Amino acid sequence: MVRGAVEYAPSTFEERGAAVAFTTPLLSQTRVRRGDRSKLEVLIPSLSQGMGIYVVPWKAVPEMVSMTMHDRYLHDLIVKEEACSPNEIRRATLRAARRGLAGPKAAQAARRALDEDEEQGTLTHYLLILAILKAVGLESPEMLKAGIDTDEGQRLTRQLMTRAAESLRLDATLLYARLAEVAAVAAPVGLARSPRPGRLVRCLVDLTAFRDAMADWARTVPSDAAPVAGFCAEVAQHTIGIGERVLADFHRRLEAIGPLMRDWDGEIVRVRGQSARMAWLLDGWSHITAAWDVMQAEDQRQQAATINELFRILPLLPTQESSRDLMEESRHVKPAHRRSVRMLEDWRTGQFDIDAIRRIEAVKARAP
Amino acid sequence: MTAPSSGGSAGGSPEKDGFEKDGPVNDGSRSAADRLPGLENRLFDIPEDKFVEVVRLLERVRDHPDVRETFAAIRPRLVQVRPQRRPTLKRILCLPFEDVLEGFGSAEIPPGRIERRVIEPLWRLVAECGDRHQLDQLDRQVQETAPGNRNALRNIGLRLWPMAAQAIRVAVGQTAAGATAAGQAAVGQGGSGQAVRLLHGDEDLRRQVLEVVSFLEIGPIIEALKDALSPKPLPALEPADIAAIEQAAQAAACQSPASVFPLLLVAASRLARPADLLAVMPGLDLGKARREQPAIFARLGGLVVANLEERGARLASRPDSGSGAANATASPEEAVAIAERLVAGVLTTSALIDALAEPAYRERLGSVKAAVRSMVTGTVLDTAPHGILSAVPVPSAGRPLPVDEDAQAAAEDHARALRRCEGLADALGLRQPLKDTLASMERGLLDRAHALLAQYPAAAAEPDGAETAEMALFYALRLLEMVAGPAKADRLREAIMAATGEFAEG
Repeated sequence: MVRGAVEYAPSTFEERGAAVAFTTPLLSQTRVRRGDRSKLEVLIPSLSQGMGIYVVPWKAVPEMVSMTMHDRYLHDLIVKEEACSPNEIRRATLRAARRGLAGPKAAQAARRALDEDEEQGTLTHYLLILAILKAVGLESPEMLKAGIDTDEGQRLTRQLMTRAAESLRLDATLLYARLAEVAAVAAPVGLARSPRPGRLVRCLVDLTAFRDAMADWARTVPSDAAPVAGFCAEVAQHTIGIGERVLADFHRRLEAIGPLMRDWDGEIVRVRGQSARMAWLLDGWSHITAAWDVMQAEDQRQQAATINELFRILPLLPTQESSRDLMEESRHVKPAHRRSVRMLEDWRTGQFDIDAIRRIEAVKARAP
Repeated sequence: MTAPSSGGSAGGSPEKDGFEKDGPVNDGSRSAADRLPGLENRLFDIPEDKFVEVVRLLERVRDHPDVRETFAAIRPRLVQVRPQRRPTLKRILCLPFEDVLEGFGSAEIPPGRIERRVIEPLWRLVAECGDRHQLDQLDRQVQETAPGNRNALRNIGLRLWPMAAQAIRVAVGQTAAGATAAGQAAVGQGGSGQAVRLLHGDEDLRRQVLEVVSFLEIGPIIEALKDALSPKPLPALEPADIAAIEQAAQAAACQSPASVFPLLLVAASRLARPADLLAVMPGLDLGKARREQPAIFARLGGLVVANLEERGARLASRPDSGSGAANATASPEEAVAIAERLVAGVLTTSALIDALAEPAYRERLGSVKAAVRSMVTGTVLDTAPHGILSAVPVPSAGRPLPVDEDAQAAAEDHARALRRCEGLADALGLRQPLKDTLASMERGLLDRAHALLAQYPAAAAEPDGAETAEMALFYALRLLEMVAGPAKADRLREAIMAATGEFAEG
């Protein structure tokens, strides 16, 4: 059933898998992917200090590892939903945390995140309607004044959208459907003109702060973990570079909302692909940046231990997604990493460590 | 004379009261100070950034008696927040021995501690018997130094500490030792008279003042060691820490073999478990103090045992200890953390009893364990029924009651503390009481969870009732998981999933 430890060098995001915010220390941020015959499988880093991973059929995980109640619930939910993309995994994770199984603070954070997702979806949809009206020269101060959530505002909006559809030579229903689809695709990233950036853009901003913090730590703290921090900063920077390019192109395409509606079949595929790429690119980083935030109040020894823990779960880019072989580069950091790794040993004993679980739950409360 | 300005008291740093400055307080500060009574109470409630700002403003007028009283009253929060304070010569004087100063109401007491009441007479001795010209010069430098510039402050200390040590030794040393040449010179300057007046004939105070001198004499070595053993408290001694201690001890031994002991006291006080230093001491090369090593080891051992006893006695003197009443000062988690540190100290020291050649220590350490056992029993075990079970709502007719999430968080903290007691149970002889408490909590949680399950169909029929009822069940499940482990909790999880039908096929 379980293959031996295998060399881990994924070439695509899908092969790398999506990080799951489990609270069982051994499973924290392990990755799930669709394997042979589309069956879900989980990738658990080698229990020894080697570089390999174990590929475990998803359904076999509860038999292999003593999981927290939160993780049993999340595991079942992922099976039920057949979730394995970052967005699907995130939704399942929020639903599990909302149940309170990762503690009250994580439950509150999950409820807030779900509410924010809904608000962001509505806001994006509204901004897209305004954008399409503007694109066809139908900007309406009356509509803005009435507000889209009033009866009068909705009547005006329907009227204008019908005219916009005529202008675009589309059926009004089809225009509405397409806008709803674009809104769903765009909401996690957010529109360039949105007063509130989407969660993926916020994650990119957090990643920039994390990169700076790691570079600063590597430069100023005399520690065995300094090269590990330096590598974390490098990986973050590389990810940011790609993310910013994808984001710029994504926003450019959404700004051209008229052409997007007209050349729908080709454009929506590209836009959807870019949104998904942003999600894959930043997958796993929110846990890392939040874990580092939590450590700000701690001393440098604790921070060094955390940097080593983060190194283990660093979302290295798959070979097809990057011009650099980060997997190979990470091997050069390993010796320094091994020298100072200590807390990691606790993570890998597989024993139920309530303090380790609590640390993970604290991160979840910050980045649900 | 006009004494050099002493400035304010340190949050967590040494000074108790500001040294009184001659001269009037200006009108503006007077009017501010007139409004102070009662302010200290509010200073415990305001946000941290506001607190720091108020402290900064108060420091400008800190010589006013009301302000000094306010500083004394808000000291617990100063210790907690540690706002950056205005540097003063008195504060710099205290740097080498700040780690061995007694804390404020804390359970943590440094071994071989110096009482805070020493600071004021000590400073007066320095101000009145020290080189006035040099003190004025250093005081001017202090006033020009930014608060965060620790190197500059230490550079001032490099000149202050030896001068102060010499002045104190001369002034105090001969009050009991009789007339030495230096002493006679001091008497000529009025040194002896000052010492007698300032120390009030208090022999214990005099002893502590002389102990402080031994810290001042190795001030630079201590400051370097503090950098190496940072931040405080160190959770464990790493090889690099041991090397730093050894190097500092050798440097102190070069100055005088007697200087090694105060240096090791500073090292011990910077550890979460001071007894850890005892464990590594036999392997330390003390350089020129090599011959004194057995005596230093025995003395440090005695201090560590006395320190453990004192900390244990402080636990035992708590009004709630062992009574089962709710602990007003320590939460279950804090109590377990204190107990873990004390037990670790006791175990480390116990393992060295043969080397210390002092069999009486065994009985004394036993009494420390008894005090810890009593505290853990009273604060964690006996309070578990109220602390954990009461968070689970009792089923009621009609709409289900939502879980109070603050109470749930507190119950989870209590459950974690209970589980952490497993690591202490054998050392404290609490294995059976802990097992009984855990079993009782497991039964209580299961009873309540099953009652909620029985009520679930009715609760789910109420508007919005299903989600509220399910949350109560999941929170109870989580408490059970913490108390009894995932295997036992999983059976309840399956029962909950069967009742709610959430993952049912089809």
